[in-house]
Amino acid sequence: MTLYDAELNSAILRIKEVDAKVVCIQLPDGMKPMAQDIERAITEATSARVLIWLGSNFGACDVPLGLPKMGCDLLISWGHNQFHKKAEGW
Amino acid sequence: MHTLFLDAPFTGDVSLSSSVLDYLQSKKVTRVGLYASVQFCSQLEKVYAQLASAGVEVVTSKADRTHVVGQLLGCDSDLASLNLTAAQHESIEAYVYVGDGKFHPLALVYAQKDLETTQVKEVVCADPMTNQMSIMSVDVIKGILRKYRASLMKFLSCSRVGVIVTVKPGQEHLKAALTIEKKFPDKKFYFFVDDNVSFGQLENFPFIETWVNTACPRVGFDDQEKFERGVINLNDAFLAAKLVSKTSLMMKV
Repeated sequence: MTLYDAELNSAILRIKEVDAKVVCIQLPDGMKPMAQDIERAITEATSARVLIWLGSNFGACDVPLGLPKMGCDLLISWGHNQFHKKAEGW
Repeated sequence: MHTLFLDAPFTGDVSLSSSVLDYLQSKKVTRVGLYASVQFCSQLEKVYAQLASAGVEVVTSKADRTHVVGQLLGCDSDLASLNLTAAQHESIEAYVYVGDGKFHPLALVYAQKDLETTQVKEVVCADPMTNQMSIMSVDVIKGILRKYRASLMKFLSCSRVGVIVTVKPGQEHLKAALTIEKKFPDKKFYFFVDDNVSFGQLENFPFIETWVNTACPRVGFDDQEKFERGVINLNDAFLAAKLVSKTSLMMKV
């Protein structure tokens, strides 16, 4: 049993909903070892190409830049929920 | 590009161990501030019930940058950002944090740095993964607060300041950063942009006397030692003179 639920059904559902061709998966350090299973589940259930983000995932404030230039049409980021940035700075 | 965030909830049982409940009882705690990281905060029913059975009231809030009540982020590291009033903070005897790791609960200790007290409310960390309890008090941040205090004084006295701005949309605060020039017209500010804070690059700009961080506020605290010339967070830069004249926890440790 894994410690965290990767919510793969939700991930695959969204890939199909938006008909994503290239999906980037971003995992916090504690879940990075699950990348292999997540990649396998996505490629078996969809025709999307999976890119695995190598770098940091400090929070929902820390989404990768430049992905659209690579044709990526969906980023799935685990371990965080929506981030409410303070518009006025801090 | 679409973005989907998934909480990745913890798959095990989320409850307080007997050691946590015994500790609260031994300290005669009757009211706590309760927070959890996102993997745990949707499964706190049992924790609420346990605390109610033990006669412990719960205070919590929806912090500024979070999405749900009771969720704790590392960046909501001051009482205003936690949306917790000073009176609410005063009304509790301790905080209880449900989750793993040290990063999130440390925010609750940092949140007390500007209070005019030496009595920090302890953070009782309850880790549902290991069922271990640990206690965080001011001792864990004393060294950092001393360095931060020195950085505040250095900022006030120096004339050339490097301001670090990240290009990551969730952390980018260029507009707010630029306003610092008006507040301190006698200082020269240099604005640096990066997609992460490249600590190894800081020494390549020897004309910078000290740094102001506008990315994640935790960089100003947790990474204080990586800034040989000191660093303070943007919000504290605006209040620097006031902060150093206070008899706050940070100025007393």
